[in-house]
Amino acid sequence: MSLFRISRRGQLLTHFAPITERPGIDRRMRVAVMRVKRGKHTAKQFSLQQSFDKAIADLVQTTPVSQEVAEWFRNEKLIPTAKRRWRKIARNPAVISAALAVAVIVGIGVFIVMERMNEFPGSGTARKMLAIASSTKSGQLDPVNAEAGSLSDFFFMKYQLEHYDVAPEFAHLRASACKVFDDDEGHRVAQISVPEKRMQFFLFPAERNPKDMKPKLFNGWRFVEQEGWSGAVQVRNGVCFMAALRGDAKDLALYLAKQNRDASGGG
Amino acid sequence: MTGDSGKAQEAFQDTLREGAHRAAGGEPPADRMWFFREARFRCLALAEEGLQCEDCEIEEHEISPHAPGQISQLAPEQLAIWISAAPDPQRSALAAFYLDEFTPREILVLLELKAPELARFVRSARRQFQAWLNATTPVEVYENE
Repeated sequence: MSLFRISRRGQLLTHFAPITERPGIDRRMRVAVMRVKRGKHTAKQFSLQQSFDKAIADLVQTTPVSQEVAEWFRNEKLIPTAKRRWRKIARNPAVISAALAVAVIVGIGVFIVMERMNEFPGSGTARKMLAIASSTKSGQLDPVNAEAGSLSDFFFMKYQLEHYDVAPEFAHLRASACKVFDDDEGHRVAQISVPEKRMQFFLFPAERNPKDMKPKLFNGWRFVEQEGWSGAVQVRNGVCFMAALRGDAKDLALYLAKQNRDASGGG
Repeated sequence: MTGDSGKAQEAFQDTLREGAHRAAGGEPPADRMWFFREARFRCLALAEEGLQCEDCEIEEHEISPHAPGQISQLAPEQLAIWISAAPDPQRSALAAFYLDEFTPREILVLLELKAPELARFVRSARRQFQAWLNATTPVEVYENE
Protein backbone atom coordinates (compact mmCIF):
# COMPACT_ATOMS: atom_id res chain seq x y z
CA MET A 1 0.00 0.00 0.00
CA SER A 2 1.36 3.40 -0.94
CA LEU A 3 2.33 5.74 1.87
CA PHE A 4 0.42 8.49 0.12
CA ARG A 5 -2.80 6.55 -0.50
CA ILE A 6 -5.69 8.70 0.56
CA SER A 7 -8.66 7.42 2.53
CA ARG A 8 -12.27 8.19 1.60
CA ARG A 9 -12.54 10.58 4.52
CA GLY A 10 -9.30 12.26 3.50
CA GLN A 11 -10.62 12.68 -0.05
CA LEU A 12 -13.79 14.16 1.37
CA LEU A 13 -11.81 16.72 3.37
CA THR A 14 -9.99 17.88 0.24
CA HIS A 15 -13.30 19.04 -1.27
CA PHE A 16 -13.13 22.01 1.09
CA ALA A 17 -9.34 22.28 1.34
CA PRO A 18 -8.24 25.80 2.30
CA ILE A 19 -7.70 28.10 -0.67
CA THR A 20 -4.64 29.76 0.83
CA GLU A 21 -2.32 28.14 3.36
CA ARG A 22 -2.49 29.69 6.78
CA PRO A 23 -1.63 28.64 10.36
CA GLY A 24 -4.31 26.88 12.37
CA ILE A 25 -5.29 24.29 9.76
CA ASP A 26 -5.60 20.96 11.51
CA ARG A 27 -3.33 18.01 10.89
CA ARG A 28 -5.91 15.73 9.21
CA MET A 29 -6.61 18.37 6.58
CA ARG A 30 -2.89 18.99 5.99
CA VAL A 31 -2.24 15.25 5.60
CA ALA A 32 -5.23 14.83 3.24
CA VAL A 33 -4.04 17.74 1.06
CA MET A 34 -0.47 16.42 1.01
CA ARG A 35 -1.66 12.94 -0.03
CA VAL A 36 -4.06 14.15 -2.70
CA LYS A 37 -1.29 16.34 -4.16
CA ARG A 38 1.00 13.31 -4.41
CA GLY A 39 -1.60 10.86 -5.70
CA LYS A 40 -1.19 9.79 -9.32
CA HIS A 41 -4.89 10.09 -10.16
CA THR A 42 -5.91 12.83 -7.73
CA ALA A 43 -3.17 15.43 -8.18
CA LYS A 44 -4.47 16.82 -11.50
CA GLN A 45 -8.09 17.04 -10.37
CA PHE A 46 -7.02 18.73 -7.12
CA SER A 47 -4.88 21.21 -9.01
CA LEU A 48 -7.92 22.17 -11.14
CA GLN A 49 -10.02 22.54 -8.00
CA GLN A 50 -7.40 24.79 -6.36
CA SER A 51 -7.15 27.01 -9.47
CA PHE A 52 -10.95 27.25 -9.59
CA ASP A 53 -11.22 28.16 -5.89
CA LYS A 54 -8.36 30.67 -6.14
CA ALA A 55 -10.00 32.40 -9.07
CA ILE A 56 -13.29 32.72 -7.20
CA ALA A 57 -11.57 33.89 -3.99
CA ASP A 58 -9.72 36.54 -6.03
CA LEU A 59 -13.01 37.65 -7.53
CA VAL A 60 -14.55 37.88 -4.04
CA GLN A 61 -11.65 40.09 -2.95
CA THR A 62 -12.52 42.58 -5.71
CA THR A 63 -16.04 43.08 -4.31
CA PRO A 64 -16.39 46.82 -3.78
CA VAL A 65 -16.83 47.86 -0.14
CA SER A 66 -18.72 51.06 0.57
CA GLN A 67 -17.04 53.93 2.39
CA GLU A 68 -19.48 53.51 5.26
CA VAL A 69 -18.59 49.83 5.80
CA ALA A 70 -14.85 50.50 5.47
CA GLU A 71 -15.23 53.10 8.23
CA TRP A 72 -16.39 50.41 10.68
CA PHE A 73 -13.28 48.31 10.11
CA ARG A 74 -10.94 51.12 11.15
CA ASN A 75 -11.69 50.07 14.72
CA GLU A 76 -9.83 46.76 14.71
CA LYS A 77 -10.77 45.98 18.30
CA LEU A 78 -14.35 45.28 17.19
CA ILE A 79 -13.35 41.70 16.42
CA PRO A 80 -11.39 40.04 19.21
CA THR A 81 -8.69 37.67 17.98
CA ALA A 82 -9.24 34.01 18.68
CA LYS A 83 -7.01 32.70 21.45
CA ARG A 84 -5.54 29.21 21.27
CA ARG A 85 -7.13 27.15 23.99
CA TRP A 86 -4.91 25.11 26.29
CA ARG A 87 -6.77 21.91 25.39
CA LYS A 88 -5.92 22.37 21.72
CA ILE A 89 -2.30 23.09 22.62
CA ALA A 90 -2.16 20.02 24.88
CA ARG A 91 -3.47 17.75 22.09
CA ASN A 92 -0.70 18.75 19.73
CA PRO A 93 1.45 15.62 19.09
CA ALA A 94 4.64 17.68 19.44
CA VAL A 95 3.52 18.93 22.86
CA ILE A 96 2.52 15.39 23.91
CA SER A 97 5.93 14.04 22.82
CA ALA A 98 7.79 16.80 24.66
CA ALA A 99 5.68 16.26 27.79
CA LEU A 100 6.36 12.50 27.68
CA ALA A 101 10.10 13.11 27.27
CA VAL A 102 10.10 15.51 30.23
CA ALA A 103 8.10 13.00 32.31
CA VAL A 104 10.64 10.23 31.53
CA ILE A 105 13.58 12.52 32.39
CA VAL A 106 11.91 13.59 35.64
CA GLY A 107 11.16 9.93 36.45
CA ILE A 108 14.79 8.92 35.91
CA GLY A 109 15.91 11.93 37.96
CA VAL A 110 13.62 10.99 40.85
CA PHE A 111 14.82 7.37 40.65
CA ILE A 112 18.48 8.47 40.80
CA VAL A 113 17.78 10.83 43.71
CA MET A 114 15.93 8.07 45.61
CA GLU A 115 18.86 5.72 44.97
CA ARG A 116 21.32 8.33 46.19
CA MET A 117 19.27 8.93 49.33
CA ASN A 118 19.77 5.28 50.30
CA GLU A 119 23.52 5.44 49.70
CA PHE A 120 26.00 5.75 52.57
CA PRO A 121 29.78 5.21 52.91
CA GLY A 122 30.36 1.47 52.54
CA SER A 123 26.96 0.69 50.98
CA GLY A 124 28.68 -0.80 47.92
CA THR A 125 30.73 -3.22 50.05
CA ALA A 126 27.63 -4.01 52.13
CA ARG A 127 25.78 -5.09 48.97
CA LYS A 128 28.68 -7.32 47.97
CA MET A 129 28.51 -8.92 51.44
CA LEU A 130 24.78 -9.56 50.96
CA ALA A 131 25.61 -11.35 47.70
CA ILE A 132 28.16 -13.46 49.61
CA ALA A 133 25.56 -14.16 52.33
CA SER A 134 23.07 -15.40 49.76
CA SER A 135 25.60 -17.87 48.31
CA THR A 136 27.19 -19.10 51.54
CA LYS A 137 26.58 -22.77 52.45
CA SER A 138 26.64 -23.89 56.09
CA GLY A 139 29.76 -26.07 55.67
CA GLN A 140 31.87 -23.22 54.31
CA LEU A 141 32.38 -21.64 57.78
CA ASP A 142 34.34 -22.99 60.78
CA PRO A 143 31.99 -24.19 63.53
CA VAL A 144 32.02 -22.28 66.83
CA ASN A 145 29.78 -22.28 69.86
CA ALA A 146 29.94 -18.92 71.59
CA GLU A 147 28.10 -15.64 71.99
CA ALA A 148 28.55 -13.50 68.89
CA GLY A 149 29.86 -10.61 71.04
CA SER A 150 32.73 -12.73 72.36
CA LEU A 151 34.10 -13.39 68.89
CA SER A 152 35.83 -9.97 68.73
CA ASP A 153 38.55 -11.32 71.05
CA PHE A 154 38.87 -14.37 68.82
CA PHE A 155 39.31 -12.20 65.71
CA PHE A 156 41.88 -10.06 67.47
CA MET A 157 43.84 -12.99 68.93
CA LYS A 158 43.86 -15.12 65.82
CA TYR A 159 43.78 -12.59 62.97
CA GLN A 160 44.94 -9.32 64.65
CA LEU A 161 41.69 -7.66 63.61
CA GLU A 162 41.12 -4.67 65.89
CA HIS A 163 37.65 -3.34 66.70
CA TYR A 164 35.89 -6.16 64.80
CA ASP A 165 33.11 -5.94 67.37
CA VAL A 166 29.58 -7.27 66.95
CA ALA A 167 27.02 -4.50 67.64
CA PRO A 168 25.57 -4.68 71.20
CA GLU A 169 22.06 -5.26 69.83
CA PHE A 170 23.26 -8.60 68.36
CA ALA A 171 26.10 -9.43 70.77
CA HIS A 172 24.01 -11.79 72.94
CA LEU A 173 23.04 -14.08 70.06
CA ARG A 174 24.62 -17.51 69.81
CA ALA A 175 27.06 -17.93 66.89
CA SER A 176 27.32 -21.32 65.20
CA ALA A 177 30.15 -20.69 62.71
CA CYS A 178 32.55 -18.02 61.50
CA LYS A 179 35.40 -17.34 59.13
CA VAL A 180 37.75 -14.57 58.03
CA PHE A 181 38.50 -13.94 54.37
CA ASP A 182 39.84 -11.26 52.03
CA ASP A 183 37.34 -9.55 49.74
CA ASP A 184 38.09 -8.63 46.10
CA GLU A 185 39.75 -5.38 47.26
CA GLY A 186 41.99 -7.20 49.73
CA HIS A 187 40.12 -6.05 52.84
CA ARG A 188 39.76 -8.51 55.68
CA VAL A 189 36.18 -9.52 56.28
CA ALA A 190 34.82 -11.47 59.25
CA GLN A 191 31.67 -13.49 58.63
CA ILE A 192 29.59 -14.99 61.45
CA SER A 193 26.64 -17.35 61.11
CA VAL A 194 23.86 -17.15 63.72
CA PRO A 195 21.03 -19.72 63.96
CA GLU A 196 18.58 -17.02 65.21
CA LYS A 197 16.51 -16.05 62.11
CA ARG A 198 19.36 -17.67 60.10
CA MET A 199 21.18 -14.34 60.26
CA GLN A 200 24.73 -13.65 59.14
CA PHE A 201 26.98 -10.93 60.50
CA PHE A 202 29.77 -9.24 58.56
CA LEU A 203 32.56 -7.05 59.88
CA PHE A 204 34.66 -5.14 57.36
CA PRO A 205 36.77 -1.97 57.27
CA ALA A 206 34.80 1.26 56.76
CA GLU A 207 35.28 3.17 53.53
CA ARG A 208 38.10 5.69 53.83
CA ASN A 209 38.50 9.21 52.55
CA PRO A 210 41.24 9.05 49.87
CA LYS A 211 42.62 12.47 50.92
CA ASP A 212 43.36 11.81 54.59
CA MET A 213 42.64 8.04 54.78
CA LYS A 214 40.25 8.66 57.68
CA PRO A 215 37.22 6.35 57.80
CA LYS A 216 33.97 7.88 56.55
CA LEU A 217 31.47 7.80 59.39
CA PHE A 218 27.70 7.94 59.61
CA ASN A 219 25.25 7.86 62.50
CA GLY A 220 22.89 5.06 63.46
CA TRP A 221 21.75 2.15 61.33
CA ARG A 222 21.52 2.22 57.57
CA PHE A 223 19.77 -0.39 55.48
CA VAL A 224 20.65 -2.04 52.18
CA GLU A 225 18.88 -4.65 50.06
CA GLN A 226 20.25 -7.04 47.47
CA GLU A 227 18.99 -10.25 45.85
CA GLY A 228 16.23 -10.82 48.42
CA TRP A 229 18.55 -10.20 51.36
CA SER A 230 18.65 -7.12 53.52
CA GLY A 231 21.27 -5.76 55.85
CA ALA A 232 21.46 -3.25 58.70
CA VAL A 233 24.82 -1.50 58.79
CA GLN A 234 26.52 0.46 61.54
CA VAL A 235 30.03 1.93 61.70
CA ARG A 236 32.13 2.00 64.86
CA ASN A 237 35.86 2.67 65.33
CA GLY A 238 36.48 2.50 61.60
CA VAL A 239 34.83 -0.92 61.19
CA CYS A 240 31.42 -1.59 59.66
CA PHE A 241 29.13 -4.18 61.23
CA MET A 242 26.31 -5.59 59.14
CA ALA A 243 23.56 -7.93 60.26
CA ALA A 244 22.06 -9.64 57.24
CA LEU A 245 18.99 -11.84 56.81
CA ARG A 246 16.88 -13.15 53.98
CA GLY A 247 13.85 -10.88 53.66
CA ASP A 248 12.78 -7.31 54.01
CA ALA A 249 14.70 -4.45 55.59
CA LYS A 250 11.53 -3.91 57.64
CA ASP A 251 12.18 -7.23 59.50
CA LEU A 252 15.60 -5.96 60.54
CA ALA A 253 14.26 -2.56 61.51
CA LEU A 254 11.58 -4.23 63.67
CA TYR A 255 14.19 -6.51 65.25
CA LEU A 256 16.42 -3.51 66.05
CA ALA A 257 13.51 -1.54 67.49
CA LYS A 258 12.62 -4.50 69.73
CA GLN A 259 16.23 -4.84 70.93
CA ASN A 260 16.36 -1.10 71.74
CA ARG A 261 13.04 -1.32 73.63
CA ASP A 262 14.31 -4.31 75.62
CA ALA A 263 17.62 -2.55 76.35
CA SER A 264 15.90 0.66 77.55
CA GLY A 265 13.33 -1.40 79.57
CA GLY A 266 16.09 -3.39 81.20
CA GLY A 267 18.18 -0.24 81.89
CA MET B 1 -25.46 36.19 1.22
CA THR B 2 -28.35 38.49 0.21
CA GLY B 3 -27.58 39.31 -3.42
CA ASP B 4 -28.46 42.91 -2.56
CA SER B 5 -25.79 45.30 -1.30
CA GLY B 6 -28.38 47.44 0.52
CA LYS B 7 -29.69 44.45 2.50
CA ALA B 8 -26.17 43.22 3.17
CA GLN B 9 -25.14 46.61 4.53
CA GLU B 10 -28.20 46.71 6.75
CA ALA B 11 -27.38 43.25 8.18
CA PHE B 12 -23.76 44.23 8.66
CA GLN B 13 -24.54 47.47 10.46
CA ASP B 14 -27.18 45.87 12.69
CA THR B 15 -24.64 43.20 13.66
CA LEU B 16 -22.00 45.75 14.59
CA ARG B 17 -24.54 47.80 16.52
CA GLU B 18 -25.55 44.70 18.47
CA GLY B 19 -21.86 43.95 19.18
CA ALA B 20 -21.24 47.51 20.35
CA HIS B 21 -24.39 47.41 22.47
CA ARG B 22 -23.23 44.22 24.15
CA ALA B 23 -19.75 45.61 24.73
CA ALA B 24 -21.24 48.74 26.29
CA GLY B 25 -23.35 46.52 28.56
CA GLY B 26 -20.20 44.78 29.84
CA GLU B 27 -20.84 41.56 27.89
CA PRO B 28 -18.76 41.84 24.72
CA PRO B 29 -19.05 39.04 22.12
CA ALA B 30 -16.97 36.05 23.23
CA ASP B 31 -15.09 35.60 19.95
CA ARG B 32 -14.89 36.84 16.38
CA MET B 33 -17.18 34.00 15.28
CA TRP B 34 -20.04 35.77 17.02
CA PHE B 35 -19.97 38.57 14.42
CA PHE B 36 -20.09 36.19 11.48
CA ARG B 37 -22.75 33.98 13.05
CA GLU B 38 -24.92 36.99 13.88
CA ALA B 39 -24.41 38.54 10.44
CA ARG B 40 -25.31 35.25 8.79
CA PHE B 41 -28.63 34.92 10.62
CA ARG B 42 -29.50 38.58 9.91
CA CYS B 43 -28.71 38.06 6.21
CA LEU B 44 -30.86 34.92 6.09
CA ALA B 45 -33.74 36.73 7.79
CA LEU B 46 -33.54 39.62 5.31
CA ALA B 47 -33.26 37.28 2.33
CA GLU B 48 -36.46 35.51 3.38
CA GLU B 49 -38.39 38.76 2.96
CA GLY B 50 -37.90 39.02 -0.81
CA LEU B 51 -38.61 36.73 -3.73
CA GLN B 52 -37.63 33.12 -3.15
CA CYS B 53 -35.91 30.83 -5.62
CA GLU B 54 -37.75 27.73 -6.70
CA ASP B 55 -36.17 24.36 -6.09
CA CYS B 56 -34.84 22.99 -9.36
CA GLU B 57 -32.26 20.57 -10.66
CA ILE B 58 -29.12 22.41 -11.68
CA GLU B 59 -26.84 20.98 -14.28
CA GLU B 60 -23.33 20.01 -13.17
CA HIS B 61 -20.14 19.96 -15.24
CA GLU B 62 -16.63 18.76 -14.50
CA ILE B 63 -14.23 21.54 -13.50
CA SER B 64 -12.56 22.85 -16.59
CA PRO B 65 -8.89 23.82 -16.89
CA HIS B 66 -10.24 27.05 -18.44
CA ALA B 67 -12.31 27.92 -15.35
CA PRO B 68 -9.89 30.59 -14.00
CA GLY B 69 -10.08 32.39 -17.33
CA GLN B 70 -13.88 32.14 -17.39
CA ILE B 71 -14.13 33.43 -13.81
CA SER B 72 -11.83 36.35 -14.51
CA GLN B 73 -14.43 37.65 -16.99
CA LEU B 74 -17.10 37.91 -14.30
CA ALA B 75 -18.00 40.92 -12.19
CA PRO B 76 -18.10 40.31 -8.41
CA GLU B 77 -21.81 41.16 -8.39
CA GLN B 78 -22.53 38.24 -10.76
CA LEU B 79 -20.82 35.84 -8.36
CA ALA B 80 -22.67 37.40 -5.41
CA ILE B 81 -26.02 36.94 -7.11
CA TRP B 82 -25.18 33.34 -8.02
CA ILE B 83 -24.16 32.49 -4.41
CA SER B 84 -27.14 34.29 -2.88
CA ALA B 85 -29.46 32.22 -5.05
CA ALA B 86 -28.20 28.99 -3.52
CA PRO B 87 -30.37 27.40 -0.81
CA ASP B 88 -29.06 27.68 2.73
CA PRO B 89 -26.91 26.20 4.31
CA GLN B 90 -25.13 25.77 0.95
CA ARG B 91 -25.27 29.54 0.47
CA SER B 92 -23.61 30.20 3.86
CA ALA B 93 -21.06 27.46 3.18
CA LEU B 94 -20.05 29.03 -0.14
CA ALA B 95 -19.93 32.53 1.33
CA ALA B 96 -17.75 31.43 4.27
CA PHE B 97 -15.52 29.21 2.13
CA TYR B 98 -14.82 31.70 -0.68
CA LEU B 99 -14.31 34.56 1.75
CA ASP B 100 -11.04 32.71 2.41
CA GLU B 101 -10.89 34.05 5.97
CA PHE B 102 -11.63 30.91 7.98
CA THR B 103 -9.93 27.59 8.53
CA PRO B 104 -12.03 24.54 7.51
CA ARG B 105 -12.69 23.76 11.17
CA GLU B 106 -13.90 27.32 11.80
CA ILE B 107 -16.34 27.01 8.89
CA LEU B 108 -17.72 23.74 10.31
CA VAL B 109 -18.17 25.34 13.74
CA LEU B 110 -19.60 28.57 12.34
CA LEU B 111 -22.19 26.85 10.16
CA GLU B 112 -22.77 23.90 12.52
CA LEU B 113 -22.14 21.50 9.66
CA LYS B 114 -20.46 18.10 9.48
CA ALA B 115 -17.45 17.58 7.22
CA PRO B 116 -19.34 15.38 4.66
CA GLU B 117 -22.10 18.00 4.39
CA LEU B 118 -19.68 20.86 3.79
CA ALA B 119 -17.75 18.73 1.28
CA ARG B 120 -20.97 17.93 -0.60
CA PHE B 121 -22.15 21.57 -0.68
CA VAL B 122 -18.82 22.96 -1.91
CA ARG B 123 -18.20 20.17 -4.42
CA SER B 124 -21.65 20.33 -6.02
CA ALA B 125 -21.52 24.17 -6.09
CA ARG B 126 -18.23 24.05 -7.97
CA ARG B 127 -19.71 21.72 -10.59
CA GLN B 128 -22.93 23.75 -10.87
CA PHE B 129 -20.99 26.99 -11.14
CA GLN B 130 -18.83 25.44 -13.85
CA ALA B 131 -21.99 24.49 -15.77
CA TRP B 132 -23.27 28.07 -15.40
CA LEU B 133 -19.87 29.40 -16.53
CA ASN B 134 -19.92 27.14 -19.55
CA ALA B 135 -23.38 28.46 -20.41
CA THR B 136 -22.65 32.14 -19.85
CA THR B 137 -18.95 32.37 -20.68
CA PRO B 138 -18.24 29.72 -23.30
CA VAL B 139 -14.64 28.66 -23.42
CA GLU B 140 -14.44 29.33 -27.16
CA VAL B 141 -15.29 32.99 -26.62
CA TYR B 142 -12.41 33.73 -24.35
CA GLU B 143 -10.03 31.35 -26.12
CA ASN B 144 -10.53 33.41 -29.30
CA GLU B 145 -9.66 36.66 -27.48
